[in-house]
Amino acid sequence: MDRLKDLPTLRIRTEDKVSFKYQGRALEALGGDTVATALFANGVRIFGRSLKYHRPRGLYSLDGECSNTMMRIDSVPNVRAETTSVKDGMNVEAQNGLRRQGFDPLGFMDALSWAMPAGFYYKVFHKPARIWPVAARQIRKAAGLGVISPDFEMAGRYDEIYPHADVCVLGGGPAGLNAALSAAESGLSVILLESRPWLGGFFDYRSKLHARAAELALEVANNPGIRVFTNAPVVGTYSDGLVTAFQRGSKADCFDERYIEVRATSTVVATGCIERPLLFENNEKPGVMQVGCAHRLARSWGILPGKKAVFSVGHDLGLEAAIDLADLGLEVRCVADVREDGQDPRLVGELQKRSIPFYRGWVATQAKGWNRLRSVTLGSVGGAHERRFDCDTLIASAGFTPVWGPIALGQTKMRFDLHTGFFLPERMPQNMYAAGRLLGLCDPASIEASGRLAGLEAAAGRGLDVAARMSAAREELEALPGTVRGSKLAMAPVKGKKAFICFDEDTTVKNIDQALSMGFDMPELIKRFTSAGTGPGQGGIPGHNLPLYVASSMRYQGEVRPTSMRAPLVPVLVATYAGANHDMAKRTGLHESQQAAGGVMERVGVWIRARRFSQEKSARAEVENVRNNVGILDGSTLGKFRIHGPDALKALQRVYVSDMARVVEGRMRYSAMCNEDGCVIDDGVITKLGENDFFFTTSTARAGVTAEWIRYHTRYDDWDYSIVNLTDAYGVINLAGPNSRKVLEKITDADVSNESFPFSCVRDFHIRSIPVRAMRLGFVGELSYEFHVPASFAQSLWEVLEEAGKELGMKNFGLEAQNTMRLEKGHVILGSESEQRTTLHDIGLGGLWSRDKARWKTVGAVALTHTEHQRGRLKLVGFKMEAPASKPPLDGSPIADGRVKGYVCTARYSTALSQPVGMALVEDELAGEGCRLPIFEDDCGGRLLYAKVVPMPFYDPEGKRMKS
Amino acid sequence: MALLINCPVCGKRNGYEFRYGGEDKGPRPDDESLSQASWCDYVHNNNCVAGIQKEWWFHKDGCGAWFTIYRDTRTNLEADTSADTSIPEVK
Ligand SMILES: [Zn+2]
Repeated sequence: MDRLKDLPTLRIRTEDKVSFKYQGRALEALGGDTVATALFANGVRIFGRSLKYHRPRGLYSLDGECSNTMMRIDSVPNVRAETTSVKDGMNVEAQNGLRRQGFDPLGFMDALSWAMPAGFYYKVFHKPARIWPVAARQIRKAAGLGVISPDFEMAGRYDEIYPHADVCVLGGGPAGLNAALSAAESGLSVILLESRPWLGGFFDYRSKLHARAAELALEVANNPGIRVFTNAPVVGTYSDGLVTAFQRGSKADCFDERYIEVRATSTVVATGCIERPLLFENNEKPGVMQVGCAHRLARSWGILPGKKAVFSVGHDLGLEAAIDLADLGLEVRCVADVREDGQDPRLVGELQKRSIPFYRGWVATQAKGWNRLRSVTLGSVGGAHERRFDCDTLIASAGFTPVWGPIALGQTKMRFDLHTGFFLPERMPQNMYAAGRLLGLCDPASIEASGRLAGLEAAAGRGLDVAARMSAAREELEALPGTVRGSKLAMAPVKGKKAFICFDEDTTVKNIDQALSMGFDMPELIKRFTSAGTGPGQGGIPGHNLPLYVASSMRYQGEVRPTSMRAPLVPVLVATYAGANHDMAKRTGLHESQQAAGGVMERVGVWIRARRFSQEKSARAEVENVRNNVGILDGSTLGKFRIHGPDALKALQRVYVSDMARVVEGRMRYSAMCNEDGCVIDDGVITKLGENDFFFTTSTARAGVTAEWIRYHTRYDDWDYSIVNLTDAYGVINLAGPNSRKVLEKITDADVSNESFPFSCVRDFHIRSIPVRAMRLGFVGELSYEFHVPASFAQSLWEVLEEAGKELGMKNFGLEAQNTMRLEKGHVILGSESEQRTTLHDIGLGGLWSRDKARWKTVGAVALTHTEHQRGRLKLVGFKMEAPASKPPLDGSPIADGRVKGYVCTARYSTALSQPVGMALVEDELAGEGCRLPIFEDDCGGRLLYAKVVPMPFYDPEGKRMKS
Repeated sequence: MALLINCPVCGKRNGYEFRYGGEDKGPRPDDESLSQASWCDYVHNNNCVAGIQKEWWFHKDGCGAWFTIYRDTRTNLEADTSADTSIPEVK
């Protein structure tokens, strides 16, 4: 289609050709086109099929207020074609059964609409309950919008920003631009959010106001105090001056979409208005569109909406559009205006000059045609007269409706104003100022003046002395035209069944009547029951008409009440909320060494760690090497803390279940922390460095929250202590195996014999010249040293140890080998052998609890007392598989009497025992020694695995090896 | 998150930086003579007032302090209670 040329208002770049695909066909668009305008220019008229009845739907508002133009774009379903810029190489597909344009295998659904009254799905299919799953599947097949596969991954670049400003202006139309300028001229920093790609609002596309819009936009662009975000719809407003929005980016930007969270002291709401749809029979046929849609198609994109058009409008912008479009080449058959009077006489004169028939007090009552509009019937509002016109386009609009969502979210009541027919705020929320249409204004000059005043009000709210300028601005505004009487007509006088109040949900006026006759009387309840306004467009199409229609009903007594608004005001991609989503994994100081040694690195919580050092899954060679020789492991992820100060011991007494007064220098103590419910949350060792000076370790997972935890539980005590998180400041290397002393003796002068450095002790000494804190632990059940070393020395120590261990054949071991060996020893890993409800008693560590320290108010102690002998809890047990040849269960659950009786925590093949062993949390009746556990697993094919409860540890029960 | 929170150490910051620590229920009762019910009441039961509430916050992405604020739960705005002496100050 040839575009209109040489209009100053055009937003397309004719020299900039863009090629994209629609339904597999290659089409051409121009730079500046949206997907919708590009398709329309290429002759596409049916953009989608409706949710329930599969009715053809076309271009209606151009601002994405309904689901009509939702398409699958580059594999993303439900993208609004009206608000998406077309890009080179874009792949656009129609959705909802619209396999090829104009044909829908489910189109017959429309003929069945009589069988689907309001609340149809709820009422018909919910009883009996057993048919619901079947019905739901069939309904979902027929209804619904778009398809997405479960493994869909969102492509694209997403980002987020959190800018601050004194004033945030919502809307870049004439009111918003003036507000931004007057606030910035007062010295305030301003952020301006505009949902369209350019500023100017309803000035932008109009021949007489376009230049003024450009002038204002230029002034704003040149003002360094104003930061403008275009393509940025407002999503929500919250207390404390928070405004959320998102922005669509272009190729030149570093994002496809980004989340914007503005924090401002004041907010100016200048969101303008949208058009209120006109209700009549078949009011959503392709070919029926709103005034702004038709006018902007021509003026901004150079596309005439059709050849022969009928106008049925309710405001002066409609008359202006009819005149302008007629001058641009559209054949205007006639113009009907629902208003009997009140039109701008100048516009009426212009219509006459062009011999366009003008019907006052008339309105469209019916559109005819199936895939395309063929004719329109107009009638007088009273219903006495009727006339039919052949046409391919009906430009219809009942009136305006201000975009008041951002104000309503400020928890203010919206009141119906009888004069303007608008919902206007009863009072503005704190630090929020309205401008333009939201004050009921219509006149361009008044709208500009109101913007200037709102900007000054924001400045005054910020404490600036702008009183003189404000009173001047107020006087100026008062001298200009005030609010205009608005059309309140909700419904043309028709009896038909297909007047749609909500396009997204296919809700008709008849559905509303049904709801009313069933006793629903509040618009909000009717919205819920009929689902009008609950679709992707939210209240955009029905938001104003539904309350008006309900109020006009004979059954309804009371004021016109709006339905409620919630954020997000416009749909936002979850990917946009996720933003940049940087992966914040941590590496230890030994990462490169381990990778170089063939480590299979895995993400474990926030860390990247070596799972094993071969491709063999069970890491059997690593286990055998530690059991028979010596191995080395990077344990740097362990939580490490120092707590010191006069009350450090008291703080430890509060959070650890054991008596911390018994921790002595040179010896470690193993203990645990519980939460208030006695459930175990952490374990580790505590060592004493001096009087009220301790060094302790926590599990890797708790490292991030331990300082917070201890401070929380001492928050009332005013104790004097400091806690320092040394997790990243220290590296940890674990040397384990019967030959580990031999390795250590080669590189230190310290006496590391079993006599002077026995099991469970801690020593500070030097390895070569590296200061280490060495602990003799037995997590894997062998002679073992854990070296804590300043992180900057970790790599050096690693190299010294490697060198020393070479002749003994020392090898790396990873998490997998460690896990198998600690399992053989019956040592727990919290989170693996415990869950949210597992108490210290349940995992058999009740002995750690010192019950005579009530004066310390130990966290969890009260619950430990209460739960000590409680029945019906899951207890931790060790088990061996009955058949030594059977594989260890991966997870799975013990089953008894057809019920799940717990679950398997960890199970591995034990080389030392030549059979699979494991630990499980099981109900107490199964926890006795010798109990048989029938274990069900996902892939066991109904054949249960049998295990038997046995005492732990499985390996070296006396602990001779780790103490050697 | 709409909240702005005044950290006594760092000043006014975005609510994202903080972790909520629950209503202020005063110091823990002594273990002795504490029944299971009264214990659960202290640990788990909340007043959930629609109005001004004294509550604990932790500046997790900041100075690491626990402190209390008064917040109006209806508006999510911090309330100025400097003049209010009816709510006892707990350290
Ligand atoms: Zn702070």
